[in-house]
Amino acid sequence: MDEEPTRYNAKAIVIGIGDYHTGAEPMTSIGLGSCIGLIIHDTKLGIGGMAHIMLPESGGKRDRLGKYADTAIEILLDELRKKGSSPKTLQAKLVGGAQMFANFSGNLSIGDRNIEAVRAKLKENKIPIKGEDVGGTKGRTVMYCPQKGFGISIRRADGNCSEL
Amino acid sequence: MALLTPTQMDALSELGNIGASHAATTLSQMLMGQIEMTVPLVEVVDLADIYRHVTEETAALSIFQMQGELDQGGYIIFIMPLSSAIRMTNTMLGMGDEERELNEMDESALNEVGNIMVSAFLDATAELLGIVMLPSPPVLVIDMAHAAVEQLLTEVAFDVNEVVFFHTKLICDQYSINGDLVMLPEMNTLTQILELMDNLLKKHAT
Repeated sequence: MDEEPTRYNAKAIVIGIGDYHTGAEPMTSIGLGSCIGLIIHDTKLGIGGMAHIMLPESGGKRDRLGKYADTAIEILLDELRKKGSSPKTLQAKLVGGAQMFANFSGNLSIGDRNIEAVRAKLKENKIPIKGEDVGGTKGRTVMYCPQKGFGISIRRADGNCSEL
Repeated sequence: MALLTPTQMDALSELGNIGASHAATTLSQMLMGQIEMTVPLVEVVDLADIYRHVTEETAALSIFQMQGELDQGGYIIFIMPLSSAIRMTNTMLGMGDEERELNEMDESALNEVGNIMVSAFLDATAELLGIVMLPSPPVLVIDMAHAAVEQLLTEVAFDVNEVVFFHTKLICDQYSINGDLVMLPEMNTLTQILELMDNLLKKHAT
């Protein structure tokens, strides 16, 4: 593995809220709070995809595919298939889903619901989860370089960095 | 995206300008120093571009829900870099040590200052609109600013992909303190505010 810190790679594509990307380029989702950074990696081709999922259910909406857990997983798998991935070599990791503060409305934690929805949808598509850094109350930034394998780096607000 | 007409944008930034000026005045009184304020920006921001406006840098966020006669909806956030937060407490309490961790005193100072500023902001704008607007009790978050705002967006933008983002910067050179005042109205609230402003403009036109 490359020892160079990858998280400050300026060339990484920033996946904003509700966005997604597939390919071999370095990708990052910054400041994940209740959102989930979902990474699906192809262990054989060295490509993968990332989505910055905001909500658990699309409820049939197709306007922003990366925004919802169900549509985001569909489109990532779809695009990876088009790029030559076979479902058997795909693996997933998820980061985020925190409860940053107690909601004003007292609703259930949206972070938890996001985590559950992503897990369920991955299971439905038989994509194994190889790692998770989810829940808690702190924000995270995630960095993923498909060509360097499935190692992802995660940075927290207190400056703590870890590899997953 | 024609979410807002240019006239509506103008009206909103004028409204924000009045609110922010009052907020800046209260901050200036509390610090007994001069505060400079940038011209408030009203922008329609796509969710995917929020990170260009709110960074991942760790900051102290004092978050208020807008309440009152309008439908509960939308938030006002006072964002302050940690170093500024510590200098603000120090300035107010006459202390000098800057190389310390953020403590409970800073947190209550942040909430209190936020509360006074946001109340002034809402008072001024509500008076202009002829309604009552109040801030909820604050919630303080010390974390990546973008991560905290995400959670607010799940409520404000669950069925829209663009939000109206009101933003002004407050700077106190004297004590090198700076902060950002951000308003994130919910769509219903925004529509109501725009209607009220329309009425106001019509009244003045006749």
